[in-house]
Amino acid sequence: MGKDEVSTKKRRKINTTTSIDASKLAPADVYKRVVEFEESEAQIRSAEKDAALFKKICHDVRQIFSDVADLKVKGTDEANEKINAKRIEASLLLVALKKLNRLEKVRTRAGRDALHKEKQRVDSTHLLLQNLLYEADHLDKEVTKCLQFKSKDEEIELVPLKDFYRDAPSEISRPEVTKADEHQLQLARLEWELRQRRELAGVCSELVSSKERVAAAIAAARSRLDALAPHLRDVLKATKPLQECLALRLDEKRDEAQAAALLPPPLFLLYANAGAYSDALGAKNVTVAIAGDEDEARRLDQLTNEESEVVVSNDSDSDQDNNDEDHRDSKKKRHHRTVKVSKEERAEAKKKEVLKTHPLNVHVTVKNSDETSVDLIFSYMIHLKIVVVKFIMNVSKPIIGVSAADVLNGDCILNELYVGDTGTDSPHPATAYLLSTAGISEHFSHFISEIGRPFIWAQRMCGLDFMAVVSDKQKTNKNIQPCQSLSVASVENFIFTLKKRLKARVELMKELQDLESGKILPSKGMPCPVKLSGSLTQWQSITWNEYSQAPSTLFLISEGLVTDVFMLYRAIITRQSAKLVALVAVSSDYPKKAPLFSLTLHWNGTHNSLTNDDIRDIERVINTDWHASDKGRCSLSSQIMKLLTCLDILLETMGSPEFPPDKVMLQSVRGRNRMKPYKFLKQGAGAFVHY
Amino acid sequence: MLDKIIYNTVLSQTLSPCGKYLVAGNIYGQLAVFDLDNIFNPVIELLTSDYNKPKHIHTLESGSQVCSLVSTKKFLVVGTVNQILGWDWKSLGHSKLGKPAWNITIRPRSLFENCDINSLWCSEDEEKIYAGCGDNKIYVHNLEDGRLVNSYEGHSDFVHCVHGNGKQIISSGEDGLVLLWDTRTKKSHNKIEPHRNSKVQRHDIGKWVGAAALGNDWIICGGGPRLSLWHLRSLDVVTVFDLPDNGIHVAFFHDDCVFAGGVSKHLYQLSYSGDIRVELPVSATTVYSAVLRTNPRKVLSIAGSSPEIDLCTTFNYRDQVLHFR
Repeated sequence: MGKDEVSTKKRRKINTTTSIDASKLAPADVYKRVVEFEESEAQIRSAEKDAALFKKICHDVRQIFSDVADLKVKGTDEANEKINAKRIEASLLLVALKKLNRLEKVRTRAGRDALHKEKQRVDSTHLLLQNLLYEADHLDKEVTKCLQFKSKDEEIELVPLKDFYRDAPSEISRPEVTKADEHQLQLARLEWELRQRRELAGVCSELVSSKERVAAAIAAARSRLDALAPHLRDVLKATKPLQECLALRLDEKRDEAQAAALLPPPLFLLYANAGAYSDALGAKNVTVAIAGDEDEARRLDQLTNEESEVVVSNDSDSDQDNNDEDHRDSKKKRHHRTVKVSKEERAEAKKKEVLKTHPLNVHVTVKNSDETSVDLIFSYMIHLKIVVVKFIMNVSKPIIGVSAADVLNGDCILNELYVGDTGTDSPHPATAYLLSTAGISEHFSHFISEIGRPFIWAQRMCGLDFMAVVSDKQKTNKNIQPCQSLSVASVENFIFTLKKRLKARVELMKELQDLESGKILPSKGMPCPVKLSGSLTQWQSITWNEYSQAPSTLFLISEGLVTDVFMLYRAIITRQSAKLVALVAVSSDYPKKAPLFSLTLHWNGTHNSLTNDDIRDIERVINTDWHASDKGRCSLSSQIMKLLTCLDILLETMGSPEFPPDKVMLQSVRGRNRMKPYKFLKQGAGAFVHY
Repeated sequence: MLDKIIYNTVLSQTLSPCGKYLVAGNIYGQLAVFDLDNIFNPVIELLTSDYNKPKHIHTLESGSQVCSLVSTKKFLVVGTVNQILGWDWKSLGHSKLGKPAWNITIRPRSLFENCDINSLWCSEDEEKIYAGCGDNKIYVHNLEDGRLVNSYEGHSDFVHCVHGNGKQIISSGEDGLVLLWDTRTKKSHNKIEPHRNSKVQRHDIGKWVGAAALGNDWIICGGGPRLSLWHLRSLDVVTVFDLPDNGIHVAFFHDDCVFAGGVSKHLYQLSYSGDIRVELPVSATTVYSAVLRTNPRKVLSIAGSSPEIDLCTTFNYRDQVLHFR
């Protein structure tokens, strides 16, 4: 309603101001036109001027109101009249105000519209900007992707540039282009690579096919060989009657060779080398044979072969030892599970297992010219990896005499064949460890009587050298490989040493037999120069205990010259009331080492070398090589002969009437030490002089 | 065969004038030189296991035994068989012994015999050297030119020992005689025969007199007969020492004491009245040599039929054992 009023008033106002135009136009268009007019008017008129006008009109209205108020106070007619005039005036002013208001409204609306329009434009521009930015980003990414792209060809290993230019044909390398263009160069190289690879692939396939052809040929040859074996067997069978007829030992030898193949490597070496010496020296010196259970050996061989294969396939470092150990352990466990074995029995079985020897052993018989021989039985201990020796002595004639028999006792004949080699302990450094891991508390020497002696020479003959192992500690646990050259050298050395020893022992035995019966036979080249008055009344072997308890031997024992491995004897020499007891220590290395005498003289008191210089002098003459003028071999008999002579000299120089001097002496006593003339001089009838 | 050195017998020893070296000679003709400085004052850092072994062992060219040794200010005098050799002390420090500085040859009576120089004694003025020999004589040589000055003949068997005190010379021999000689004459003017004295004799051991020494008023001698002290002027036995020995080879005076040793386990120090003051245990079966010295240090070295030589610094007990091997 109000609006209507306003619109009417507007109309009126417009009518008043623009009466001509409004009256001419149709009433429907009047509003439109008015609106348009006012809009354009609002645009044309300045807002500030209108604002100033509005303020002035407001001020005028207020003035009129205050005038009216003054006039009302007067309340006169004149005043009323004036009031009316003023009312009209004010109304007109209000119309103007309304007009201004309307204009203002139009203007505001137009501004608002303009603002909105502007906002929309800004928004769209912003949107456009965002789009462009996004697009730019994307393009950026694409560019980097392109830059980072790696071609397959970079991974291919190419022929070096130098080789490429040298080898490649020019139609590929095209140096005139590629030298300048990196990319073309790469392409050319790739092309060259491709060509070469193709060629190589061709060669490879060719080779493979040729290999297959060869394999086929081998298979064919093998099948032919396999077919040959039965034929050969037939041939062998066919020769048998002929062999028997001609008494050839071909088969036996073949059997032995077969058995030899089953021998453990150390024993095989021994067999081969000793066999060679047996051939070279003749069967009457050395013979070699293989004894033992061949089937058992074959089984063992197969077993170890399988084991070694297992080891290889496992590609593990575990050596044979461990393998054996494992194997044994597993066996033990199985035992434990299935059969309830008592503890002792198990321990016994374990011990047996550890001390097990190879079922085959090698017999070496060394014979002397006079039919005495030694049978040596070499066995190989599989787990302890050492060689042990048992021996049997064969003597042609029965030995008379107790002490003489001991000399040829095998136990001592092999003793210290080489220096320090007593064969009482295992030469293998790992033996103690192996025994303790097997739960055996006894020392190895405990078993020696049962299994035989592990002499070092036996190891060396079989090519086992433990010394080298000891020096190289890291290899202690490795398998010891038998050394061929060592075995060759040792076997030869051993055979000759043993023969020498045998010979020496036989001679010693004869000497001892004589001595025991009281005879002293001078050896050749050492004839007895004078009549000897003393006589050997007793000769017997004594124990180490007896020997070491005699005061006269103290010095030799403390100097370490005599040990309990020596063969010990007591000789008693008497001449009238004088009795000389000689304790004789014969080294197992006799006659290389001379027997050692320690003397005690019972005459006018008891004298030995520690209390009497004369006895000491005699010992010096007999035991040392002082003035080794008599180059003759120093045998036990010749030493005893010397002893008898010395005793005579000593007693005769004592000046006692019991022993009248009957030997020619130039001077009975000489020097401050009152030495007696113990040296025999072959001058005329012979005389005794001082050394 | 054993090494002969195990049965080594040292017959004589002497100390160098400086007291630094001990020289010992054995029956194999070897001279061992021991460095006493090193043995008594060893440098611990340099101490080796063979410190008690000889510094050098020289072997005589002839190889015959070293019977006696004596030292003068300048020379080591070695009495061997048929020869007296003199070496300058300086040359002994070298590892190889050169030729002797001088030698005196004593000819044996016959081709088969040899003449051992059993005993050497040098007078205090070092003018003359007295050699008691295996040919029963005592030869006196001038040290200046080696000329034979005198020879004393009176023994009927080899001479064991010669000693003197400036005016007189005493000698003892295998024949059982102890002879006194005036240095100016050729004849002995006095003699004692211990084996004829019933208190002294020991028939089972023999009549030989192994050692005799002259003091100012006394004679000490012993051998087969017991060790005994005789008065020089009256020639009577004053003391007969009752020792468990089987023969005396060493006897001398020192500091109102008699030192004696021989076939016995001990070396004895005795008072004139016959009391045993000290019994020194010895390594040797028979003591053939004992040398004593007080300057620059007290040292007593005892050797005999053993490779070991016993060394005492206090004369009361055995300090060290040297090895001549």
